[in-house]
Amino acid sequence: MSKQFLDYLLRVRLPLVLFVVVAAFSITYFVSRAERDGVGYSPVQPIKFSHLLHAGTLKIDCQYCHTSVESSRHASIPAASICMNCHTIARKDRPEIIKLTKYFKEGIPIPWKRIHKVPDYAYFNHSVHVNKGIQCVSCHGDIPQMEVVGQMNSFVMKACLDCHRNAQAKLPYLKQVKNGPDNCWACHR
Amino acid sequence: MADKNFSQNDKPEANYWRSFEELYADQKTLEAKKHEFSESVTDDFSVDKNLSGISRRKFIALLSASAALAGAGCSDYRDKGEVIPYNVKPEEVTLGKPNYYASTCNGCVQNCGILIKTREGRPIKIDGNPDHPVNKGKICAKGEASILNLYDPSRLQFPLVKQGGIFDKASWESVDSQIKNIMDSAAGEEIAVVTHRFNSPTSKRLFEEFKFKYPSAKIYSYDVFHNEIKNYAWKKCYGGDVFPLIKWNEANIILSLEGDFLGVEGNVIEQMRLFSDRKNVNDVKSFNRLYVAEGSMSLTGMNADYRFRVRPDNQLAFVLSLLNELISKKNISSNAVDVNIKNIISSFSLKDFASQNGIDYKKLSLLVNDLAANRGSAIVYGGRALDEQTQVAVNLLNEVLGNTKLYRTDAIDISQSIYSSSEELKTLVSSMKNGTVKAVIHFDTNPVYHLPQDLQYEKALGKVSTVITLSESENETAFASNYVLPVNHTLESWGDYNVRTGVYSLQQPVISPIYSTRQKEAILLNWFSDDPKNYSEKIYLDYLKKNWLENIFPKISSPFTFEKFWVGALHDGVITTKEAADLNLSFSSSSFKGINPAKNSNKNFIVLITESYRLGDGRYANNGWLQELPHPVSKVTWDNYAAISEKSAKALSVKNNDLIEVKAGNKKMTLPVILQPGVADNFISIETGYGRKNSGVIAEEAGINVQPFYSISDNSNSPWMVTNASVSKVNGSYKVISTQDHQNFDDTLTKDAHLKRDIIQEGTVLQFIKDPEFLHKGKDHKLPNMYDDFVYNDVKWGMSIDLNRCIGCGNCVASCNVENNIPVVGKDQVAMGREMMWLRIDRYYSGTPEEPKAAVQPMLCQHCDQAPCENVCPVAATQHSPDGLNQMVYNRCVGTRYCSNNCPFKVRRFNFFNFRDHYADGYYLQDSVSLMHNPEVTVRSRGVMEKCSFCIQRIMDAREEAIRKNQPLKGSDVRTACQNSCGTEAIKFGNIKDPKGEFYQYRNHKLGYYVLEELNVKPNVTYLAKLRNTHSEEV
Repeated sequence: MSKQFLDYLLRVRLPLVLFVVVAAFSITYFVSRAERDGVGYSPVQPIKFSHLLHAGTLKIDCQYCHTSVESSRHASIPAASICMNCHTIARKDRPEIIKLTKYFKEGIPIPWKRIHKVPDYAYFNHSVHVNKGIQCVSCHGDIPQMEVVGQMNSFVMKACLDCHRNAQAKLPYLKQVKNGPDNCWACHR
Repeated sequence: MADKNFSQNDKPEANYWRSFEELYADQKTLEAKKHEFSESVTDDFSVDKNLSGISRRKFIALLSASAALAGAGCSDYRDKGEVIPYNVKPEEVTLGKPNYYASTCNGCVQNCGILIKTREGRPIKIDGNPDHPVNKGKICAKGEASILNLYDPSRLQFPLVKQGGIFDKASWESVDSQIKNIMDSAAGEEIAVVTHRFNSPTSKRLFEEFKFKYPSAKIYSYDVFHNEIKNYAWKKCYGGDVFPLIKWNEANIILSLEGDFLGVEGNVIEQMRLFSDRKNVNDVKSFNRLYVAEGSMSLTGMNADYRFRVRPDNQLAFVLSLLNELISKKNISSNAVDVNIKNIISSFSLKDFASQNGIDYKKLSLLVNDLAANRGSAIVYGGRALDEQTQVAVNLLNEVLGNTKLYRTDAIDISQSIYSSSEELKTLVSSMKNGTVKAVIHFDTNPVYHLPQDLQYEKALGKVSTVITLSESENETAFASNYVLPVNHTLESWGDYNVRTGVYSLQQPVISPIYSTRQKEAILLNWFSDDPKNYSEKIYLDYLKKNWLENIFPKISSPFTFEKFWVGALHDGVITTKEAADLNLSFSSSSFKGINPAKNSNKNFIVLITESYRLGDGRYANNGWLQELPHPVSKVTWDNYAAISEKSAKALSVKNNDLIEVKAGNKKMTLPVILQPGVADNFISIETGYGRKNSGVIAEEAGINVQPFYSISDNSNSPWMVTNASVSKVNGSYKVISTQDHQNFDDTLTKDAHLKRDIIQEGTVLQFIKDPEFLHKGKDHKLPNMYDDFVYNDVKWGMSIDLNRCIGCGNCVASCNVENNIPVVGKDQVAMGREMMWLRIDRYYSGTPEEPKAAVQPMLCQHCDQAPCENVCPVAATQHSPDGLNQMVYNRCVGTRYCSNNCPFKVRRFNFFNFRDHYADGYYLQDSVSLMHNPEVTVRSRGVMEKCSFCIQRIMDAREEAIRKNQPLKGSDVRTACQNSCGTEAIKFGNIKDPKGEFYQYRNHKLGYYVLEELNVKPNVTYLAKLRNTHSEEV
């Protein structure tokens, strides 16, 4: 082996290979972190609404506010008028409720930050899942225990298919559950 | 184009052909057929020209800048934006669920009931209202596609006032007060209101009150296409005002004379339903038999069992010969036939007529025998374009045969307006010229384009100081006006209609006006209200309700209060009352006086102007979907053309796309030529509605204006017919584009056995009665499978298309376009074979160019069990589903187009561009249009393949519903968009595996076959072979 060749290997080839390996690792690491799928995302909301208080302590049913979840594709974010069902009387003096009342009276929709998002080429349907008895917490995490809601699970296609292909194991509380469809047009059309 | 001209020596072969070039083995066409796609399909698609104008330098600069930005703004989480709820949610809205509202279509005078699907307050689809007794849940292609007019970016958005030749934006308040001042100062000078025929009782009252307020006001009414000649002849024969409705479903034999009752005349939706009631494959003995005698090749003619080529000016002689033959040879006597009539008809012999017009006498005698044998259960229908004498003769023929039994006596067509006579219109124009007209109000009409040129309406309009046009979009008349007031679309308006005895339908808005527009009735009402400054959107609703309370509510003995009744009527969209029609059926023989057909040499050219199947009288010209929807017979899109016979073309030495000049009197025009099989010699038929000016970018680029040939009607001669035209060839050519000769497959190997490819299979009724298994005899060999069979779940979707019922109208295509967000691609792209419609109607001819037998076949993705497309996709973007669907996944597709290459049916469509962006500088990419898209269907972009999905969104909706109710999903739960719109119920959809479902009997019918069965791809679409109701057991 000539000295020249060894010199070339050590000075050019080795650093190049090392660089590529390190770069590949770091990019892959960065891209594949759970955060990249939004897990843990809990933005500051325009009104500090507490699911812990409403759903946890007061035990208000999810569907009292997220009304269309049983009948439609969308779970729907409640209109301000639903909040005002109680808050025209309850806790009117709190600063966050004053904010809410202002939104409602001025007719401005509350610009909630979006937390859970499925890409728009996936036509996810809430009602079929809820009507099969799947609980909200199975995908959304233990929302009644969250002061500020954040995303608990990843909402990528693999997450859907993990459950669709192995429903018995993933949803042990449903005794009769069958696997969900795993063909393309079940979600994409 | 053909180097080798059509010569008699090339004998036509007895197989299906699609064009003359194919029939005569034109070299270029044969060459083209060897290729999958026309060569131009990839033209004009170089990367540097079309994809992006950004240079390499700039790209790298942008790349580094964005990388720097990404690094600087790096966060662990991507911002997912906001999710904005309602502030106060309307009670009836459930996010993600459609609401349906019943209303009435105002696209033509038929005023069909419609059901509008809205999502979150936006109308996205129009279907027929199933509760409406006339159209029963179906509407035509124009109605389907009219939703695009609502969102049309070139709609007028605010009032315009012309000052110094330029239109300026104005406010409603100032326009209202200016116009009111002008009208108040009229003082005896005429105020002319020009409207179309209207069927609204409340509009009628509105006009009466308007005339009361302004005594000098006069109402004029016109339509380019109407039934006035028929009605006039009827009045002469029977004394009634309106030609009666026909019980088409009770006719064993139908003879249609230049009458397109399946295409454009009358309520075609109702007529095609009644006609196809007698095409039930489970009861073939009750099939009706359709004879058509016509000069043009119409949609009705295409569906005929027997068709004769008769020029419209020979129809009278034809009817008289038939009368003579029936009365003298078949000894049919009738009280209606007096000596005078006998004298007139005695000189007409059917045999002579046949020989003079080159018609097979044997075929004519079949007709005579049928008419004689089916007295009282046959109908002879004279098209509306025929002159009064012919109509009278047709009435007599029906009277003699006792066919008056087929006239409906319980209901007639009702109109609230009377058409102005030609004299009235002439007087209007002359007083306009004299300056005695203070103001002209165009009530959503376009007389500058529509009215006959002889009237010189446009010129006279220049003499009127105040011209007010109420219009939805810009047009010729608006351009010639001082005031242009934008009006609401049908879906933004209130209204009521009474088109039939005892049928009152309501129209309600389903969206608040998108722009600063007002309902046309409300504009008029506001002008003579007490306080015009205080306009409210409810003004016409209150007026409408008042009229219903006073005039219509008392007609029904409703147990409810008016308010309750009103809510119920709005919900249903239609109410029926027990009114009786006034119909007298005693024939007056004196009507026959003076009937004397002129002798024809058949040498002069006749021009017939017909209503466009797609654009109507031109009011849909700015609708891209309708412009692109192929003509049902010729499959031409984006243009009108002179359809002439092959023989006439030879005499003029013209070929397809050559130009001819047509002269009649002082009028002339230059037209492109299309050789149309089946057209009479020395005869030209042209559609009107094209060649628009100042009417929006889409309307203006399409076709040629033939309105100048439309003449003033005096109710006896046809205004649409030019009898003494001279025609000559002129230099130059104009490319007319059709969708028919695209996508040839290489069939030179099977050329002599074209029918053996079994694309179209057919038989006759007698053949089927004799041997119900005839279709599958000798074809029962088992084909080996290349692949393992799929395992299917409980449901496997399938479709059956009954070719006996299908008439090829194309309503299903329009419905599919709306449902599935199909883009408009434009004429240049259709020319390259890039039209995007998922469903097409193939049309095949057999026989000779003079007497072609036509067959139509809706062609869509066949959802094969062993789909050739699935095997060749390198990225698995097209897949098989466990419910038998062939799935297309846009996100995976990289655009290799292998699947399309391997598809034997050629039903896949490739997005060569983002067509919304590409067509007319992004005309349909504008915000308003995106409101129209079906939110349940992806809007496809450049570079992906797409195709029919069997309306997967509707299947998934039905599945969701079944899960919610905890019931199994049934085949009948799903209705595809095409099925829903099919006026003849030719399309059935359901579960192949459910023996109890209605669909099962069609899927397994003895007439069922698959297209290209020998490929063994096992399609899930079954076609039911067409049975021609001829007198023979042979096809």
